[in-house]
Amino acid sequence: MIVVLGLSHHTAPVALRERFAFGEARVPVALQALRKMGLADEAVILSTCNRVEVYVATAQDPRIALPELRRFLAKTHDYHDPLTDELYTFPEPQSIEHLFRVACGLDSMVLGETEILGQLKKAYDFALQAGHTGPVLNKAFQRAFNVAKHVRTETNIQRGSISVGSVSVELAEKIFSSLADRHVMVIGAGETSEKTARALLSRGARSIIVSNRSYERAAALATELGGTAIHFEEWSKAFADVDIVISSTSAPHYVLDRPKLEPLMRLRRNRPLLLIDIAVPRDIDPQVNFLDNVYLYNIDDLQAIADDYLKQRKEEVARCEAIIRERAAQLSTPRPPLTSGSTQPAFE
Amino acid sequence: MSWSDRTSFLIAVLFYGLSSVYTIFLFRRGFREDTRVTYLLLFAGFIFHTAAMFLRGFTYNRCPIHNLYEATLFAEWMMLAIYLAVGLWSRLRFLGAFASPFLFAVSVFALMPQLDQRTAITAREGWLSFHVALFALAYGAFGLSSVAGLMYLTQERDLKFHKFRAVLSLMPPLQRLELVAGRLLLAGLVLWTSALIISAVLARQLGNVNYLGDPKILWSFLVWALYLALVIMRWRFAQGGRRFAAGAVGTFVFVLLTYWGASLLSPIHAP
Repeated sequence: MIVVLGLSHHTAPVALRERFAFGEARVPVALQALRKMGLADEAVILSTCNRVEVYVATAQDPRIALPELRRFLAKTHDYHDPLTDELYTFPEPQSIEHLFRVACGLDSMVLGETEILGQLKKAYDFALQAGHTGPVLNKAFQRAFNVAKHVRTETNIQRGSISVGSVSVELAEKIFSSLADRHVMVIGAGETSEKTARALLSRGARSIIVSNRSYERAAALATELGGTAIHFEEWSKAFADVDIVISSTSAPHYVLDRPKLEPLMRLRRNRPLLLIDIAVPRDIDPQVNFLDNVYLYNIDDLQAIADDYLKQRKEEVARCEAIIRERAAQLSTPRPPLTSGSTQPAFE
Repeated sequence: MSWSDRTSFLIAVLFYGLSSVYTIFLFRRGFREDTRVTYLLLFAGFIFHTAAMFLRGFTYNRCPIHNLYEATLFAEWMMLAIYLAVGLWSRLRFLGAFASPFLFAVSVFALMPQLDQRTAITAREGWLSFHVALFALAYGAFGLSSVAGLMYLTQERDLKFHKFRAVLSLMPPLQRLELVAGRLLLAGLVLWTSALIISAVLARQLGNVNYLGDPKILWSFLVWALYLALVIMRWRFAQGGRRFAAGAVGTFVFVLLTYWGASLLSPIHAP
């Protein structure tokens, strides 16, 4: 019987999640303790910024095992305040369905994201290497990875980008044959522009130029991104070689408008130019979008694309859930029929 | 009904029609579907198209390029052959979706009985075949270049107007489409130039004909000048992107609209 105990961004605020988080060094001790105390025959602990979950294979009745696990978790983290809905518990078959949903990214903050699958694999590998898993959890986790792969290929749950940074990358890939030779300029060193620049770099963008009113801030970000910093007054001089511009200054007026861009486009021999304006108020005059080979997207345009993708993903959830239910049913231990008078325990 | 080359071509046209219907489906789906179906339909059409040309060649015991019907078939066949080769790269397979309606429309037009008239051969068969083959290849390259240009204009418009379809579609990126359109157009121009040179050889064989006043020959030079201007504007004056794509589409539309007229007005080209 597999049971799960945990808390996630759905049930607990970050202050509580961080209170219950297991640092890497604490995981082996906790796994060891779980088995030593007889609470688990096999165990895996998943601890990420959005969730802390303990997956346990036990021969005990879940009505006994789950309260014991709750006490164990509170004691391990020296937590004494009362907990109600923050912690969730699942017996089989819900525990297996939950594991599959987590692996598929259906339970994630960003629906359908794939990072959780890597974290789940890491948590499982850790427990496997330390000898804390056995036939029950091995089979369940392997099946979870398999279901995640199946869902990824058979549905659109992971298709498309739902963050401003990754939408920008997708747009760039619709314009340029390859990002490998592309030069990126960041005007105004904000957090979102940094994330967008990082996303472009991760897809192979060749170089980054950072320009900011505070040169020190530009230099710091350029160093972090492996690019070069230039003074704010000089950004237009470096424009000839640039293919993608991310602008996020706090200027109250347009930094780039049509009269300024037209001669720059001639200098660039009319090569395509992607302008990403994530500043509010906007940095780039919308009129520049009417110039040939110029593609301007502001924060609302990017967010609208991200929202459309998210809508598409939400439409796929029902298909994913059906796959998960079917696969979980194949794996679950057949339960003995309920005898008269017995009831299902209320675990949540 | 006896099986003739026209029957075979009619079946090919049916496949082009089916592919055109599938293009409408792809359009309605925001070009999110893979175009393997298009490729397979056009490949099936190509087989029957090839059969039609072979049957005609064996029936008359010559290269089937002696009237407008045969020349149209040959040009389309070349265009399809180029597409089937280029379409082996999955990212360029979308060319077929845009080429299908064009192939279907031109094929239906080619089926008009008036275009299929017997002509007297006055020049040597070898040079004539070479001349027509080069022009047919050039038409194929120009046609596909305009298809790539049309794809560019579609994708560019979606990106300019921030349509969700722009990121969802499986069409190649703008730069690649421009590259493909540019290369095909350049290849077409080289072939067209070579065909014009061969024309001079043929002219000598034909003897006393007024070449400079022949509408088809004048038209051929005009088309050559238009494509040359496009190439020069792109490489010398950096007029690439949308203008180049629109130029490639516009010039080919001009070729399509005037080809039959110029041919019918020409005493040495008319059927």
